[in-house]
Amino acid sequence: MNRTLPSILAAASVILLASGCAAPAAENSAPVSGGTLVYASGDAEPTCLDPHVGGNYPQALVSSQYLESLVSKNSDGEIIPWLASEWEEADDGLSWTFTLQDGVTFTDGTPLTSEAVAANIAHLKDPETKSSTGYLALAKVASVEEVDELTARVVLSEPDSALLDSLSQPWLAIESPRALERSEEENCESPVGTGPFVVAAWERQTSITLERNDDYSSPPADAGHEGVAYLDAIEWRFLPDSASRYAALQAGTVDLIDNVQPDTIVAAETADGISEFNAPRPGASNRIELNSSKAPLDDVRVREAFVRSANVDDAVTSLFFGTAPRSYSALSSVEKDVYSDPDLFGYDQDAAADLLDEAGWTEKDSDGYRVKDGVTLELDFPVSTNQSIPAEQSLYEQLQSTAKEAGFKVNLSPLDLTSWYTVLGDNDYDLVSAPYTKAGPDVLRILFHSDGTVPAPSGYFANHSQVKDPELDALLDEAAASSDADERADLYQQAQRIVLDGYFILPLFDQQNHYLRSDDVKGLRALPSVSTPTLYDTWLDR
Amino acid sequence: MEVVSLLVIAFLAVAALAPFLLAPGDPLAIDPLDSFQPPSPAHVFGTDESGRDIFTRIVHGTGASLTIGLAATAIGLGLALVFGLLAGFGPRWLDFGTTRLLEVLFAFPGLLFALLFIVVYGPGVVTSTIAVGLSTAPGYARIIRSRVIQVRTSPFLEASVVLGRSARFRIARHVLPNVAGSLFVLATLGVGQSIVWASSLSYLGLGAVPPAAEWGAMLSAGRTYISSFWWMTFFPGLFIVLSAAATTLLGRAIQQRGRES
Amino acid sequence: MAGSLSVDLVGAPARSGARGRLIRWALLRAGGVLFVLWAVATVTFFALQLIPGDPAEAILGGPGSQASAEALAAARAEYGLDAPLPVQYLAYLGRLATGDLGTSYALRDDVASVILDVLGPTLLLAGLSLLVASLIALGLAMWSTRGGRVAAAVGSLLEIVAAAVPHFWLAISLILLFSTTLGWLPPVSVPGGLGLVLPVLTLAIPLAGFLGQVMREALLDALDSPFVLAARARGEGDGGVFWRHALRHAAIPAIGLVGWAFGSLVSGAVVVETIFARQGLGRSLLSAVQGRDVPLVIGIVLVVALAYMLVTTLTDLADRVVDPRLKARS
Repeated sequence: MNRTLPSILAAASVILLASGCAAPAAENSAPVSGGTLVYASGDAEPTCLDPHVGGNYPQALVSSQYLESLVSKNSDGEIIPWLASEWEEADDGLSWTFTLQDGVTFTDGTPLTSEAVAANIAHLKDPETKSSTGYLALAKVASVEEVDELTARVVLSEPDSALLDSLSQPWLAIESPRALERSEEENCESPVGTGPFVVAAWERQTSITLERNDDYSSPPADAGHEGVAYLDAIEWRFLPDSASRYAALQAGTVDLIDNVQPDTIVAAETADGISEFNAPRPGASNRIELNSSKAPLDDVRVREAFVRSANVDDAVTSLFFGTAPRSYSALSSVEKDVYSDPDLFGYDQDAAADLLDEAGWTEKDSDGYRVKDGVTLELDFPVSTNQSIPAEQSLYEQLQSTAKEAGFKVNLSPLDLTSWYTVLGDNDYDLVSAPYTKAGPDVLRILFHSDGTVPAPSGYFANHSQVKDPELDALLDEAAASSDADERADLYQQAQRIVLDGYFILPLFDQQNHYLRSDDVKGLRALPSVSTPTLYDTWLDR
Repeated sequence: MEVVSLLVIAFLAVAALAPFLLAPGDPLAIDPLDSFQPPSPAHVFGTDESGRDIFTRIVHGTGASLTIGLAATAIGLGLALVFGLLAGFGPRWLDFGTTRLLEVLFAFPGLLFALLFIVVYGPGVVTSTIAVGLSTAPGYARIIRSRVIQVRTSPFLEASVVLGRSARFRIARHVLPNVAGSLFVLATLGVGQSIVWASSLSYLGLGAVPPAAEWGAMLSAGRTYISSFWWMTFFPGLFIVLSAAATTLLGRAIQQRGRES
Repeated sequence: MAGSLSVDLVGAPARSGARGRLIRWALLRAGGVLFVLWAVATVTFFALQLIPGDPAEAILGGPGSQASAEALAAARAEYGLDAPLPVQYLAYLGRLATGDLGTSYALRDDVASVILDVLGPTLLLAGLSLLVASLIALGLAMWSTRGGRVAAAVGSLLEIVAAAVPHFWLAISLILLFSTTLGWLPPVSVPGGLGLVLPVLTLAIPLAGFLGQVMREALLDALDSPFVLAARARGEGDGGVFWRHALRHAAIPAIGLVGWAFGSLVSGAVVVETIFARQGLGRSLLSAVQGRDVPLVIGIVLVVALAYMLVTTLTDLADRVVDPRLKARS
């Protein structure tokens, strides 16, 4: 049973009692149907509303309202039923059998059957679809058997302990097989799913209109109620500028905003009629990756020296006003089995100096930067202006300054997204901060397994620290194949230790995912799978 | 008025050439726990998001910002003068060709020039300057060309032709001085405009590279905090306006002298 | 000020009949427009090739898309990207000649329809901003010349400050003042006219500052000039002098600036459309360049060039009406 709704109602009633009588209109404590909620996102407008195509977070945010997945996750991190009511792993781990809920239909009338599951997995694996997230997640899926109308068997080429986690994500949602047969353009315009809302219209650069699905019958096991959604419709807008986005919330033009800046969070605390909602994303923590494949960071002492010279605590405290907890681990705090080691990351300029001396960087030039054999200790740090908020960029500036004290010359280059990807693909960087959201500790495999250094044809690869450690690879492979939760936990802990001890990353803070809502927006909760808000249980108290 | 502008310009010149005289501190020295402080005796203009003293950064940023302003304007006007003279004063085919060329350049939104340039060559003060200069040149060229034509069709120039003066003489004695009036207005406006332009580029993520102290970059970086910490944008903005005002007023004063004499 | 074609007329041999001259003018004009459009398309096409980044990736949703080799190859074949550059260029020109602007890589839609969707709002914004800016500049100029030295100084200062303010700062400040504090206006675009007020003001104020300064200089010049002295000597009052002579003279450089102002408005629109979340050409151009969406960039640039040509033609005609010297000559 979801915990947020009762607590919000409790808070609301406390406020009502505390604020005394003189209550104007009738204050409802039970959900009412009706109204249109206006959501304003600070992310870039997706080019395709079908999260099978590509697969990024802005797509997940909006598709969580009209598409559903086979399974979901509850706030304890356990996999719970959704479109699939039961599932079973074969003894050899090479197949999974899913039993679907009965009587569910897509909004175009097609019934939910195993044919749909097969069609969707085929769609994701088809190169023509151009899926990236879903495609990677289904790398070990060989085929899908339609055992009977409501039973599908997913056959694997090797055991995959991360399959359920992957299937809980919005990027692998189940769409109507009839709809998938349409052209990509049509399907991008209005994908058809089983969700509580339907895509009614999309006016680019203006808004996406979602309307209530009046035949809805398939909430996840931890939802707040059953039956259709309360809201009549949702207007999904894109307001890229953070200042005008907050102003729109204050003015009542919009009801719910995301990508809230730290100082706005603090300002909203004292503002009337606005409340905060925090849903940290799973996957990796927000961190800096150190490129261990080339000088000077190929030397672990230099990596440690850089980490020791970075005063992250002060930077995070001052720039985030206490809204972002410091992280000392590779994983986000919402993951289970997180291994954390603060001692490795203490700010210590003396230790940094000793390490650099040890590594041979003993001379200094006139600006104070260290020199060895005529080469300056220089680190290139490309920064994507699209993917990082101003507070993060200021944080890198501060780290640049403390690193200078130790003798590092850090070159920050603000770049647009495409140029940034190009630089990364060319291995033209020493430091980089690339966010990665994925459900489950399998993200460690994507980020730190040596396979992750092999570039896709587009040049993209995920293992930016370029870790190539056979021992680590073995641990990650074993964990991916294991069906024993305890064994996996142990293996992932060992893997994280290797990553942290090798100073391949500098963890900064937990992945931030703050929302601000108008106080009359009730019943907001986030799907724990990738922490996207779901408006199914949401109602407007007006 | 003129005295004030001269004083402001003198201040700016010292700030640009010898900043440590006016602000002995280090513009790059961070102090995270002292961030977002309002103006006080310790920090006359307050501190920014990394605890750096804003007054020091503004003084030390004068060089970079004025460079952008002056250099971009110089590039723009230089190109414009060449094109404008060629078009207005040369033979008709040259005018036709140059005007068409100007129209082509002009038809591009200035932002596109800047965007393409910076995307190809990377961000930074130099690329910003060139980008802004290139994108303002066609506009200035058009104005200069029309002024040249205005002068060229005027009576005293025709008299000059009749009197048999050489083209070079005509340009030097008649055209240039008369065009100079417009040039001054444009130049003085241009300095402020260029700095502002570069600041907008910073807003779009294409400007000066951190941690450089540059007014436009400071203005852009402070905009997220505008409602909570007003001094982060107020002072860089103030200096941009002051520079633009001082140069404009000075230009106008010089023009006035010229007109009177 | 003379428009671009007036030179030809000034030097043209005397021809019988204004009609002949008009036809010749129209033909030359049309030819000029086509030339400019061709040049613009060519320069943009080759300039975009310089940008790092693989167009095939742009088609497949950006460089982070981890597209497979087969998908990339398919995309290249479909869009003709594996042909040598000159061939691609000629193919592109060929399509343009038939009016086919191509398909946007990122938006998967006809470039022409994408642009049509966003053209109206931008033109509306630019047009209104130009109008408001002209009115403000005119108002300030009038007030300065009539109100004495103090008014002149204050007006001048206001103009300088206005011209030195960056769009993004002005936008956010206006939102803070009129929306958050006073609650009079909506902070972002909403259906209906009120949503236009702040965006228009944001573009108009700096432009007014610039226009005002140029007009002021021309106005001062005009008020000092011989024909104004002559008018006063003839006994014309201040009002007549202002409206009939000085203003007309000052309008000449201002009209010339309209073309420039249009270009500056399109650039400024990028920031304004982003902050106020308005549909628009500027915003589309920015994301198209950043996304390496070549067909869309070229399409937008061509449309802007065409619009600019239109504006210049209109201002040339207006010039002809306003400038007595040109009238006398033709």
